[in-house]
Amino acid sequence: MAILEEPIKETLHLKNYIDGEWVDSEGELQDVINPAIRKVIAKVPISTRDELDEAVEAAKEAYPDWRRTPPLARARCLFRLKELMEENFEELSRIQTMEHGKTIDESRGETRRGIEMVEVATGIPSLMMGCNLEDIATGIDEYLIRQPLGVFGIIAPFNFPFMVPLWFAPFAVATGNCIVVKPSSEVPISQVRIVELADEAGIPPGVWNVVNGGRAVVSGMLDHPDIKGICFVGSTPVGRDVVYERCGATHKRVIAQCGAKNFALVMPDADLERTIAACMTSFYGNTGQRCLSNANLVVVGEGLSEREHDEFYKRVVDMFVDAASRISIGYGLDETIQMGPLRDESKKERVLGYIEKGIEEGAKLILDGREVKLAGDWPETCFLGPTVFEEVTLDMAIAKEEIFGPVANMMKARSLGEAIEMIHSNPFGNAASIFTASGRWAREFQYRVECGNIGINIGIAAPMAFFPFSGMKDSFFGTLHGQGQEAVRFFTESKVVIQRWF
Amino acid sequence: MANLNVTASVIISFAEELEDSSSTFYAALAEQFAESKEIFLNFAKECGKNKTSVVRTYQETISDALEAGFSFEGLNLKDYKTETTLAEDTSFSEALDIAIKLEENACKFYLDVAERSESLLATIPRAFSRVAKSRSNRKLKLETLLDESNS
Repeated sequence: MAILEEPIKETLHLKNYIDGEWVDSEGELQDVINPAIRKVIAKVPISTRDELDEAVEAAKEAYPDWRRTPPLARARCLFRLKELMEENFEELSRIQTMEHGKTIDESRGETRRGIEMVEVATGIPSLMMGCNLEDIATGIDEYLIRQPLGVFGIIAPFNFPFMVPLWFAPFAVATGNCIVVKPSSEVPISQVRIVELADEAGIPPGVWNVVNGGRAVVSGMLDHPDIKGICFVGSTPVGRDVVYERCGATHKRVIAQCGAKNFALVMPDADLERTIAACMTSFYGNTGQRCLSNANLVVVGEGLSEREHDEFYKRVVDMFVDAASRISIGYGLDETIQMGPLRDESKKERVLGYIEKGIEEGAKLILDGREVKLAGDWPETCFLGPTVFEEVTLDMAIAKEEIFGPVANMMKARSLGEAIEMIHSNPFGNAASIFTASGRWAREFQYRVECGNIGINIGIAAPMAFFPFSGMKDSFFGTLHGQGQEAVRFFTESKVVIQRWF
Repeated sequence: MANLNVTASVIISFAEELEDSSSTFYAALAEQFAESKEIFLNFAKECGKNKTSVVRTYQETISDALEAGFSFEGLNLKDYKTETTLAEDTSFSEALDIAIKLEENACKFYLDVAERSESLLATIPRAFSRVAKSRSNRKLKLETLLDESNS
């Protein structure tokens, strides 16, 4: 199959976007490498603290005017941005595949979800409305107004280079705030392209800034007295111990969406064919590099004898391994590819380490992704095939820690209750799925499970733009979540007015 | 042997090619057989609309959370291809035979992918079914034309 045309033909030299201008950074340049073909596609600056300060200053300067811009006028900018994203849909998607490695279907899916965030935020005149109540006492009325706060920082991860900052950015801007986005330095191109479109859409200088970089920029954002809040998506240690703590110390609002170790339960009455198809997307989509990926598959024997449970388990595992072993792996711009590479060598090394650890701890490797067969002549550097372990116990590192790679663990539970306890024994609480035809089991699952995003016959429980992207326990630190109405509340202060006229 | 790695992206590209090549074919028929020019030009125009509708629906509903990479496994796209080359001496009824075969295969393609995409968002199978219906209607029209030309 032919490779789709690459939108990036020559190495890009990325700049920062501050106060409506493209600005060269004084920081050193870092290579952005297409992980599938191992080619440098861009040079990204690792900006300095001073450069961040310039961006925050620009955002602060732009804020009073932007805040006073009528919500409908702000929404119109976002309508134009949405239209520009639609016009450039294919280019934006192919850029993601080039910088991240995901398949073109996955990239287009990511583009769509990103656009949906902008689309929902265009409803800001309604979303941002307050409320009022007459006659709270004789002749006295009370009402609530939602007001923006100022400047927000957005710190993005590498796994969804286009979409994740859009969980926050359109809502922040729509509510009248100004933002500084720090893309992942591994995958910065999508965010640079988005801000080009934001500029074309007429969003005024200083409202939407992009500062490329690493720790200095993150650290600067967390400490900056003029930044009112931080949106962070990344690992739990950084989210909890750095971002959440420092935001507390510097009195900032914070959304820290962090790591995960998600479980999928297969009940005896599940539609196995569709369950396995859903599991392939869930366990191996995005090469397992997503916080909503399932990682532990629990085959539940509720209502079955031990022998029947063993047979059911074997059937599920056989089907899972058969499907996983047929996944085509290669460069995501080849349309036949179902799984791309890991983002870089170090991430592959990390996953390999977990596979070794799993073997050492006594799990049985029944599909070895280290023996990867590529569709196409690509360097194997970042590629790893689907991997499946069985005889996995909850105390093993592969069962309890986030691997962020294409590794699935097969487990058994005698009852639904036991399976739910297995989920609760894990410190994370991002997502969980159940595959069943029983409404009773599904309800019990959604009622009891302590995870923020629940899938019922859904492998990736990804909330739409108008619902919050939830998360619990070690998967989320903060109060309000990204997306939808919760994002609107996060980016606004509630002011209450009590009024009486003499 | 079936194509094992038929992703949603492969299906959409195939549909685009199918509509493009059908449009070219009907434009050529319109040129070659003036007596039915209007019908064939309308068919060619419809192909453009079908393509837009399918691509737009895919782009508007594709989601990284759906089983887009796995829903079409096992389909063999060669089964839906039709040889549409016209020779200079191709007769009207021979050309209609080719067109009928083209519509039959195209209709089968859209029905099969509609069935397999049922687990994706509702608009995707609906878009495929709509095009299948339009292709099926065309086949009936072509069969009537063939009957008339043979009588």
